[in-house]
Amino acid sequence: MPAAAHPAAADIPAVEARGLARRYGDAQALRAASFTVAKGRFLTVLGPSGSGKSTLLRLIAGFERADAGDLRLFGRPVEAVPPHRRSVGMVFQRLALFPHMTAADNVAFPLRMRRWDARDIPARVERFLALVRLEGLGRRRPDELSGGQQQRVAIARALVFEPQLLLLDEPLASLDAKLREEMQLEFRRIQRELGVTTINVTHDQREALVMSDQVIVMEGGRILQDAAPETLWREPAHPFVAGFLGVGTFLEGVAADGPALDVAGRRLPGRTTAGAPAPRPGHPAQGALRAERVTLGPAGTLPPGSDAAVEAVVEDAIFEGDRILYELRLPGLGGARLRAIDADPGARARHAPGDRVAAGWARGDFLLFDASDRTGRLP
Amino acid sequence: MRGAAFHWGVAALVALFLAAPSLVVLGASLTAGNIVQFPPDGLSLRWYERVLAARDLRAAFGRSLWVATVCTLLAVPAGTLAAVAMARWRFRHAAAIQLYLLLPFTVPLIGSGIGLMLLFGELRLLGSVWPVGVACCVINLPFMTWAVAASVNGLDPELERAAANCGAGPVQCFLLVVLPAVAPGIVAGALLMFILALNEFLVSLLLVDARTVTLPVQIYNSIRSIITPDLAAVSTVYVLVAAAAILLLDRLVGLDIFLKAK
Ligand SMILES: Nc1ncnc2c1ncn2[C@@H]1O[C@H](COP(=O)(O)OP(=O)(O)OP(=O)(O)O)[C@@H](O)[C@H]1O
Ligand SMILES: [Mg+2]
Repeated sequence: MPAAAHPAAADIPAVEARGLARRYGDAQALRAASFTVAKGRFLTVLGPSGSGKSTLLRLIAGFERADAGDLRLFGRPVEAVPPHRRSVGMVFQRLALFPHMTAADNVAFPLRMRRWDARDIPARVERFLALVRLEGLGRRRPDELSGGQQQRVAIARALVFEPQLLLLDEPLASLDAKLREEMQLEFRRIQRELGVTTINVTHDQREALVMSDQVIVMEGGRILQDAAPETLWREPAHPFVAGFLGVGTFLEGVAADGPALDVAGRRLPGRTTAGAPAPRPGHPAQGALRAERVTLGPAGTLPPGSDAAVEAVVEDAIFEGDRILYELRLPGLGGARLRAIDADPGARARHAPGDRVAAGWARGDFLLFDASDRTGRLP
Repeated sequence: MRGAAFHWGVAALVALFLAAPSLVVLGASLTAGNIVQFPPDGLSLRWYERVLAARDLRAAFGRSLWVATVCTLLAVPAGTLAAVAMARWRFRHAAAIQLYLLLPFTVPLIGSGIGLMLLFGELRLLGSVWPVGVACCVINLPFMTWAVAASVNGLDPELERAAANCGAGPVQCFLLVVLPAVAPGIVAGALLMFILALNEFLVSLLLVDARTVTLPVQIYNSIRSIITPDLAAVSTVYVLVAAAAILLLDRLVGLDIFLKAK
């Protein structure tokens, strides 16, 4: 590969995108996407439906061309390289196994197309079927395999020719929860074993956190944040990122010094996150709070570990097995709503709908974001 | 249960009604007498012997087979490529081209026939048999295109991307992935074109002369003189050949492909 001949080959990123854009009709599917993926890493692209994730993969695989921007794979511009000459393996959203070929023929197909020595192919196909734990099932056609087994054939087919880059377009979305978790770990194992640079697309935040070294969050064709999973969780750079990663409550108010958020005359202390512009005092702002960071206590008290507390009325208490989800109304904050999770219900008294309680949190858990572009200027 | 019995009853009546002409012809062909009649006057295979011995009928049947072969050989590549192109590539005037491919259906056969007769006459092709096959291909091509289109439309476009991703160039992708996937449609369309060309009458009537007469036209000509039971025997052989083709079709690809054509 040309990259290997380069003097500083080790520093060259596997993928380097600069200002990639792609439009379909009047839908701007991708806007000025820039990011890099280092060799051997596992990147997950996370975003809601229609946010441009598949579009990004299609550009990298070469099925479509970017309207603007520059894409390099292993240091080499790929603008003019057709898909069948890129060293990219892909597992498709709907798998796209060749229905008229057996599992083994599906896996052998990339080797035959890439003119591997025919004598080496059977052994290599066997090895990769074993890698995805499908020993002995090579003679079956795709429609004679279960969903999870088809998935594995698709993975083996994408990996068998030693691509430099592996693309996964939500291949796990159609599986049931248990199989999905198994396959997530499987991917991680195979990816580590082969050391192939991987880009995975999903809208499942848990999957993104579990599997990745690096996560890109997209919305409306834009990259909102590009960070390690833990950073994403602790320091969301955008309220949308916080919301997508499971933040259940957003309180609207006005930014104050401290930093803090003024809501209906109450001053609630919080903190800003790294990477997000700090809200300017006097301007609209939002405070984001995870349900599991809210502590409930008797009305009028400051629950243990809290820096601030508000009066709340229990609207609903939903039993979820290992935890109880409370839907709360905050009469003191103009009727705003708050979600709280009690993860250890056995040890504490349960609150019933109608109960008055105190809902408290530590200031470090109350994330403040500027909202002046959303709500416009203050009157 | 009574509902089911009723449905079966109706289905049986319809089947009987559809099969009646063939059954009558079959019965009439087995007669031992000298005139066409149903029920037959005694049973014998003598008219089949007559048919086998008749050189003109055998020659006409041979020409019909040749016509059907020419028609099928032309229709398979033309119809397949047209169907794949229309389903896969966005190009200018796609709607107009689609309409044009359906045009033979909308022009009355007698119109197409006269047009082809004038055209072939101008090209001095009228003395040969193969132009009849070309004509059959032209007027029946929509059947071929439809049969293939049914398969192409059921084909996941992601499959072609997967092939490219596996390293297959456009030609390999077409030969190794698209073609096998649409093969049932091609086989169905080919058999259909063959049968239609074998049976084609009206347009052939205008294109053939005494030396190039095809079987349906030959039978028609004979009817105009005297109707003898050997014509019933020929018709029966004909029906059996068509039925064999349909059975073959069902065994190879399943007839349900036509139910998915739309
Ligand atoms: N071929 C196309 N023609 C027209 N619009 C398209 C096409 N492909 C994508 N789009 C539009 O581009 C936007 C991004 O689509 P994309 O497929 O990249 O989303 P996605 O993030 O993969 O969504 P999902 O999670 O549902 O798969 C969407 O608004 C979509 O409607
Ligand atoms: Mg997608």
